[in-house]
Amino acid sequence: MSTSSAPRALRQSASSNDEVSIAPAALESSDLVLEVKDFSVDYGWGERAVRAVRNVDLDVHRSQVLGIAGESGSGKSTLVYAVTRLLRSPAVISGGDARLFLDADKNTGSDVRTVDLMRASERELRSIRWSQISIVLQSALNALNPVLRISAEFDEVLKTHRRDMNRHQRRARAVELLELVGLNEDRLARFPHELSGGQRQRIMIALALALDPQLVIMDEPTTALDVVTQREIISELRDLRARFGFAMVFITHDLALLVEIADEIAVMYAGTIVERAPAASLHDAPRHPYTLGLLNSSPPLHGKHHELVGIPGSPPDLAQSLVGCSFRARCPFALERCASETPPLVAIEDGGRMVACWLHDGSATNLPEALRREVSLSKRAAPQPRATKEVGS
Amino acid sequence: MSAVQIPKSPKVILGASIIGFFTLMMIVGPYLAPYDPSATNFAPNLTPSASHWLGTTSLGQDIMSQLLTGARATMVVALVAGLVATFLAIAVGVAAGYLGGRADDGLSLLSNVFLAIPGLPLLIVIDSYLPSGERSNAFVIGLIISLTGWAWGARVLRAQTMSLRNRDFVEASRIIGESRTRIMVAEIAPNLLPVLASSLLFTILYSIGAYVTLAYVGLTSTSVWNWGTMLYWAQANNAPLSNEWYWFVPPGICIALVGTGLALVNFGIDEFINPRLREGGLSARQRRRIGMPRRPRLGFTPVRRLPETITRLSTMEPR
Amino acid sequence: MRMLLRRLSLYVVTAWVAITANFILPRLMPGNPVETLIGQLQGRVSPQQVRAIQLAFGMGLKQNIVQQYFGYLGQLMHGHLGVSITLSAPVSSILRSAVPWTVGLIGVSTILSFLVGTIAGTMLGWTRGSRFDSLIPLTTFFQAVPYFFLGTVMLLIFGSNLHWFPVLGAYSSNLNPGWSWAFVFSLIRYGELPVLTIVLSSVAGWMLGMRNMMITMVAEDFVLMAVAKGLPRRKVIMHAARNAVLPSVANLSLAIGLVVSGALLVELVFNYPGVGNLLLQAVLNEDYPLIQGIFLVITMTVLAANLLADVMYFVLDPRTRTEAAV
Repeated sequence: MSTSSAPRALRQSASSNDEVSIAPAALESSDLVLEVKDFSVDYGWGERAVRAVRNVDLDVHRSQVLGIAGESGSGKSTLVYAVTRLLRSPAVISGGDARLFLDADKNTGSDVRTVDLMRASERELRSIRWSQISIVLQSALNALNPVLRISAEFDEVLKTHRRDMNRHQRRARAVELLELVGLNEDRLARFPHELSGGQRQRIMIALALALDPQLVIMDEPTTALDVVTQREIISELRDLRARFGFAMVFITHDLALLVEIADEIAVMYAGTIVERAPAASLHDAPRHPYTLGLLNSSPPLHGKHHELVGIPGSPPDLAQSLVGCSFRARCPFALERCASETPPLVAIEDGGRMVACWLHDGSATNLPEALRREVSLSKRAAPQPRATKEVGS
Repeated sequence: MSAVQIPKSPKVILGASIIGFFTLMMIVGPYLAPYDPSATNFAPNLTPSASHWLGTTSLGQDIMSQLLTGARATMVVALVAGLVATFLAIAVGVAAGYLGGRADDGLSLLSNVFLAIPGLPLLIVIDSYLPSGERSNAFVIGLIISLTGWAWGARVLRAQTMSLRNRDFVEASRIIGESRTRIMVAEIAPNLLPVLASSLLFTILYSIGAYVTLAYVGLTSTSVWNWGTMLYWAQANNAPLSNEWYWFVPPGICIALVGTGLALVNFGIDEFINPRLREGGLSARQRRRIGMPRRPRLGFTPVRRLPETITRLSTMEPR
Repeated sequence: MRMLLRRLSLYVVTAWVAITANFILPRLMPGNPVETLIGQLQGRVSPQQVRAIQLAFGMGLKQNIVQQYFGYLGQLMHGHLGVSITLSAPVSSILRSAVPWTVGLIGVSTILSFLVGTIAGTMLGWTRGSRFDSLIPLTTFFQAVPYFFLGTVMLLIFGSNLHWFPVLGAYSSNLNPGWSWAFVFSLIRYGELPVLTIVLSSVAGWMLGMRNMMITMVAEDFVLMAVAKGLPRRKVIMHAARNAVLPSVANLSLAIGLVVSGALLVELVFNYPGVGNLLLQAVLNEDYPLIQGIFLVITMTVLAANLLADVMYFVLDPRTRTEAAV
């Protein structure tokens, strides 16, 4: 496969289905909730602009949990916040499209429709916010207004989006939501500072589900919590998703955690997606050297502990225009062409895997053993120590 | 932190120029005065003219000369009071913040008491007991003003010192066994500078107001020329009601300008202390050039459109 | 609750300090003020007035300083502030007629100024970078103008020349004070210019403080969450403003002292029959018992206002109500 003929994205948009699309989880294209195409985000303007997200394609299917992993500064949060138009100044969306495909909503009486997030009016955006896309932030302490009671947070959301509900119905709904996340209704009368970190985060989750959204964005929702609470919340989230069927985008730097909850994982590096695969395959058999490094640098939640090895070096300066593979300076397997040609994200094998790495180009014969592993039958096997050494050296 | 860098915004430059101008007036003003400000050898109530730029008082004194001469006393008292008050504020505030415990309780109580007592009435009470000889002494007046004006600075400095005290680099020097004095002088003091500068500006601002007020009320010697006594005489001779604006407006404007200058410089310091206040925005023209039709708003990340789209939009939009 | 108690005890201590300073100051001053004063007032004073002056300074009494001090405290407990030298009336009864004017004038002005400044600051902070930002230096100019000077200029322009507002005094001299519509209307009309003066002079402080806090708050996560929840803009602003106003309220108690200081002189300019005007007369006449009485009453009133502001903060910030807070 040559550079020029390599397609940027193999999947087609929902509107055109004249070509056979290679969807990773073999889902139909009409199952899309979110579709992002050729998306770029800058911080700042003019010559001092930093391109934090570079021509990214991404899609999320109905009821799917898509994990986005990467180091801090990889652009994972920037991408998701920009798609929802929530990114703060001085960010500018410098190119691309993002569309939201909404089911008929019995609550609001709206029909099946497509929302072009980049061209939507403020009014339109307001109407889909929280009712269709909700967000859970890393620190619930900062995300909850410190001077409002928890009940006010629920009340406000329901009042804004469910005009027909009266005070008692809103209260009943809030109690019901708290029960979903295992909290007693007496928490409603509390202020954020009176609750523990785990309780606050559960309240954020309950709040995010208040309007039955079709997409919930989780931005490192468990990072600020202790490991035990982290585990509890992850398993609760799995149950809730199974019960209500919302799609989830789960952002974290913790790849091992992501394997626990995500159906599919996209790994970001320097503003681009470098690998995308079903969670288990990505974990057992990484195909991009960066994914391999990331796996080796985080402890697994299950199974045997392996030797943790960091990835040497640091991400490239995004203010420069990048030529070639952005990971090559830190990559133990870098080839000559990595310096001059940017690898596209392409499908590499069955099972809907995609990777942006020249090592997997047909002409490359010297694929390192660590990147050749087969997907094991046991879903959560620990990576082999040998791989660790190769990356670490 | 290296040397303190005050952002060079137009506001700060304007403020610094104003302060510079009046500092110059403080130094050379009395020499530039064309006449003796107390001499009553002109016709009374002259309107501004070439020989008397600001006219004369009802006693036949040259108002311009009073304004120029009065700059010195006004500014000197403000400086003395501002410096002494800031010194007191440092002594009490930094010590309270750094020492903590009992010492902090006592010193905080002291400054809180002084904060709660309304300044001007206290000033008037103290001043009314001064023998008239002392009332003409700019330094005595300055000292008394500083006594009522130090507490705010002490409070701000205490808070800043406390937050610095608990930071890692101070903790580190404590662990390696540096002396308290050295930690205070070498580690904490440089980081207090912006807060200190801001508190100095405010005490000077307060001191000018207090001094001018005392003079206006007649509680300083009316024979010492400052902007407050000018207002006192103008009021006493009913200048405002006689429409003699050239008598009482210039000193008032000068006071306000000095205050504005100080406040403008303080904007720069505020922006230095709180980076969120720094301007990162673009002017409307800059925005248009890069294709952003409106000011970025929270929750509506701007989308850069292709050039042809912009022109089409701008012709379509009514504005 | 602990926070309120702590503030309350601070005010008790402050009141004690003010009372004691009032006692000590005349005794610290060089010379014998009583002799000087009686000398100055030569021939114009009756024996009762001499007695009043001596009482005010605790002199001419066969008591040591400690006895004098407790005698003085005892007098204060009973509301006795001495007798005015020039007005030959008890200071407490003179003040009783003057205090309501001042409390009304300053109270109304402070509330107005706080509201206007806070709302303007909220908008400026939210629409930061808009062309309204260029108004900020102008407002600092008004802040830097001495209250009495601004009052004089306003009086000259809007009162004497344009005759937009009635000036000098608190109500039309043709009316008798009482609860008639005409009197209340006159009261409002005469109050407009003094209130406007105080508001103009003090509004910039509230405005800038609120603007800076809004800018700080808008960068907080919970404001972004309010947007993510699809709330109307007004509600998003309220989320930020509700938190940004807290430092302003905390500063309210400090600012009251400053506003009072400035406003006292506005009374002088507009010949308003309040405590400020009285204080200036007392200073000119060297009426020490009156000066001292006024100082004490002003201080006590300011402390009471401070306590009120603290209660407001206590109500507005739930974090002060739970001791277990982190």
